[in-house]
Amino acid sequence: MVPARPEFLRLARVTAAGLAGRLGFSYDEIEDLRLAIDELCFGLTGPTGRHGTVELVYTVGASSLEVAGQGRFLEDIIPIGLTDLSRVILSALVDEHQLTSGPEGPRFRLVKRRHSDAPVSGD
Amino acid sequence: MATDRESLKATFVEFARTRDVALRDQLVGAHMGLAAYLARRFANRGQPLEDLTQVAALGLLKAVERFDPSLNIEFSTYATTTIVGELKRYLRDKGWAVRAPRRMQELYLSLSRVVDALGQELGRSPTIAELAAEIEASEEDVLEALEAGQAYRFASLDAPRGDGEGDSVGESMGAEDEELARAEQRAILTPMLDQLPLRQRQIVHLRFFEGLTQSEIARRLGISQMQVSRLLTRSVAQMRAVANPTAEDG
Repeated sequence: MVPARPEFLRLARVTAAGLAGRLGFSYDEIEDLRLAIDELCFGLTGPTGRHGTVELVYTVGASSLEVAGQGRFLEDIIPIGLTDLSRVILSALVDEHQLTSGPEGPRFRLVKRRHSDAPVSGD
Repeated sequence: MATDRESLKATFVEFARTRDVALRDQLVGAHMGLAAYLARRFANRGQPLEDLTQVAALGLLKAVERFDPSLNIEFSTYATTTIVGELKRYLRDKGWAVRAPRRMQELYLSLSRVVDALGQELGRSPTIAELAAEIEASEEDVLEALEAGQAYRFASLDAPRGDGEGDSVGESMGAEDEELARAEQRAILTPMLDQLPLRQRQIVHLRFFEGLTQSEIARRLGISQMQVSRLLTRSVAQMRAVANPTAEDG
């Protein structure tokens, strides 16, 4: 759970890249992941952040990574949705993506699967 | 010491009365140590100490000019607030455009050479582990360096367009523009794409419409993958700015 500000959401990117690296994602795939997280975080908090928090949940699969973010903001915000631009970008970058308004606040979710045939590092 | 303080106090009173620039400079000079001390406390946040010291000195100058010696507060207390305020504002304005530590900059540069070479050797995009082995760094360092590269990207977002980014590979790509006519996406993106320099338009098109990977785009355009990555990130941010013109007041 981090403050809903760009400098903290940078951590979302770093963490995702770290996990993806461990899963043997290729450099290409990790770059895609970074851009996708940027895009969804932007959708959630805008360029300057919001008052409130974002709870991030990372789910590691055998060859996939899911990142979910639940925003809880103090201010009322205009219903959140993806712009057409974001949709085009995200569908090129990740396998699944969503940005929706939930009862607690807006949330996003993305799934990136490993497609490369590189060896998986680590144990 | 007490006499020093007394004489400084007298100088402040004198300056308040006369607004004599020589007195002002004398007062600034007498407190430069405070400014330098505060600047050092804000070091290690990505900005060079010299710059911070200048900002602090400017804050000090403002403090000297605004200080009212008839109020019963110490100048150092008053000045600290002003100087810290200036430093914070400066760092905030710099925002994301922080400079990465030198070691990370160097790692990033090594990586930019290795990503393409290794990719060609392997016939696929390398993994982080492979990159780390190649430049003899830890995987964490590789990830951190790539993130540092991200910081440069954000640094360039202030200049959204017309930055002269290459038309050099332009001619060979002319024919591809026909294919851009996938009606739906074109309708959405054309106004935003139009804002981008030619090379960025090509990269956005190849990545998001043609589905090429960054390394494939790099090969096709004859530039490095790091360049593709940076131009792509910049393009997305620029298109976003066009799509959300009022987003800044959020």
